[in-house]
Amino acid sequence: MLEITRYHARRRVKGTVAMTIGFAAFCALIVGIFPSIEASGVDFEAYIESLPEAFQTSFGVEAFATMEGFLAAEFYQFIWVLLLGLYMAYAAGDSIASDVERGRLDLVLATPVSRTQVLLERFLALFGTVLVLNIVMPLVIFGIVLAVGEEVALGSILLVHAFSIPYLAVCTAIGLVLSTAVTRGNVATRGAIAVVFLLFVLHSVTGGTNFDWLGWASPTLYYDPSEILVEETVDLAGALVLMVGTLLLLTLARTIFLGRDV
Amino acid sequence: MAVIEVEGLTKRFGDVLANDDLSFAVESGEIFGFLGPNGAGKSTCIRCLMGFQSPTAGTARVLGADVHDDAALRAARGRVGYLPAHPSFDEDVTGRRFLDHQARLKGDERSDELLELFDPPLDRKIGGYSTGNAQMLAIVQGFMHAPDLVIMDEPTAGLDPLKQERFNEFLRAEREAGVSIFFSSHVLSEVRRVCDRIGVIRDGRLAALESVEELMGRSGKRVRVLTADPVAPGDLDWPGVVDVEQTGRQATFTFTGDTNALLDHLAGFDTHDIEIDEPPLEEVFMHFYGDTDQGAEHGVSRDAAADESGEAATVTGAVATENLEAADGESGRVQSGGHASQDRPQSRSEDEDA
Repeated sequence: MLEITRYHARRRVKGTVAMTIGFAAFCALIVGIFPSIEASGVDFEAYIESLPEAFQTSFGVEAFATMEGFLAAEFYQFIWVLLLGLYMAYAAGDSIASDVERGRLDLVLATPVSRTQVLLERFLALFGTVLVLNIVMPLVIFGIVLAVGEEVALGSILLVHAFSIPYLAVCTAIGLVLSTAVTRGNVATRGAIAVVFLLFVLHSVTGGTNFDWLGWASPTLYYDPSEILVEETVDLAGALVLMVGTLLLLTLARTIFLGRDV
Repeated sequence: MAVIEVEGLTKRFGDVLANDDLSFAVESGEIFGFLGPNGAGKSTCIRCLMGFQSPTAGTARVLGADVHDDAALRAARGRVGYLPAHPSFDEDVTGRRFLDHQARLKGDERSDELLELFDPPLDRKIGGYSTGNAQMLAIVQGFMHAPDLVIMDEPTAGLDPLKQERFNEFLRAEREAGVSIFFSSHVLSEVRRVCDRIGVIRDGRLAALESVEELMGRSGKRVRVLTADPVAPGDLDWPGVVDVEQTGRQATFTFTGDTNALLDHLAGFDTHDIEIDEPPLEEVFMHFYGDTDQGAEHGVSRDAAADESGEAATVTGAVATENLEAADGESGRVQSGGHASQDRPQSRSEDEDA
């Protein structure tokens, strides 16, 4: 049991380590410039209010002058929600479709495993990356903030990561649906990236307008790092919606995968 | 007991009919050759047997498990080895890691013994493997769990002749040990050497089903002889000689009959060079099976499939006509050898009717 997960998770180790280092470096860079921004005395509140509503929603710029608000805007909204969300969709989109396209899945499906098991274990292998990043990165970020002589609540950082897990799971599941539905790997990866990006934009541009109900399908509606970091509130219902969404998408991917030729 | 039973298996991809009402059985303990030119539908049939693809109509049973029954087929796959035509692996893992993975998925009873015969560089990443090494790795995974049945799709494609022969020997030993083998190939000589019984597939339909001896008797040898002086037209008029072509001092013909008789006849010439070879597969089809309608003589019903869908009949009809035109192009030569296939014109009209 879980052999397929173990095999693919192991193949992902290098990539996950590289991502951790990359994220840590980026975080160190932006946290490193925070003291000088703080010291500049610029009225960021006024600056933010002058930005369009959609921009404020997209990048969660709410309290730029505090470390929490700064991290939410500069790191979490951009790196965690957008970039990592897109990456998970991409990696999941690649998983089944590319293996089918290249014939690599044949030698796995020739063994006594079910397609359901293959699909679920591939999801878990990707989910492993999400878990590892969300366990390691909060500690790294907390360490970096302390290192530049600033302060941030560890609890908030841990929460913002914990609640990102269902969000990233949905992005992964979106990628898997594409990966089972499409016969070519590069179509599946591009499609998955496009879907996740469009959903992100959909929420951003309709935010604060009369059309904000359009954003209901967007995973970003249910996970807001700024809210957790700045307002210190968590959206439990949102997390639940994301978990249910993940299950529904995985069920859909399974139905497609069981019904198709490989 | 049959290890594979195929019953009316039909697989359609859009307008293309890849398998058309295939029916045959592979008996326990035999090496069954599934012979046909590229694109005949061999891989499609194999992929249906493995459960990778679902048949459009008909069914098949592998070790008693119906291919429509996912759970039963999955259990049966634990006793089936599979060797794809072009084995494809994750290139970033080593051969050893791949075999470990396979062992955990289906068991490993004899990989050590197999690795003595077939020795891919296990500690190297598969991305750096040559085609031959990848093929050897695939062979090891195909047999490592001591399966009762091994399904192979053109398994010797990437092997050098030495390894091919070793592989063929290995297959014979496996059969002696009771393993049943289903072996697809487009190389007649290979199937001849290894298989007990042969099913010939052409344009998705079964064209013939017979023992190797029967096929060998029918397919003949392609002979090319270079003589000191050009042979006279009547000189090659022996029984069993067909399809004579002569250019200058070189004569080429197909010979069906006793090899000793052939050598006796050739001894009568002042020969400079002789080449005796397998005839190309297509030629065997043209000369000895005529067109695909001949399949009906071998117990293959194609009318049912044609009746099922007008579209199918049109598609296969067009393909058959095309091949017949090719056959007609050669029929002049065939007739000059005195071995005309008399039912060909009749077959053609039948095909048009279909």
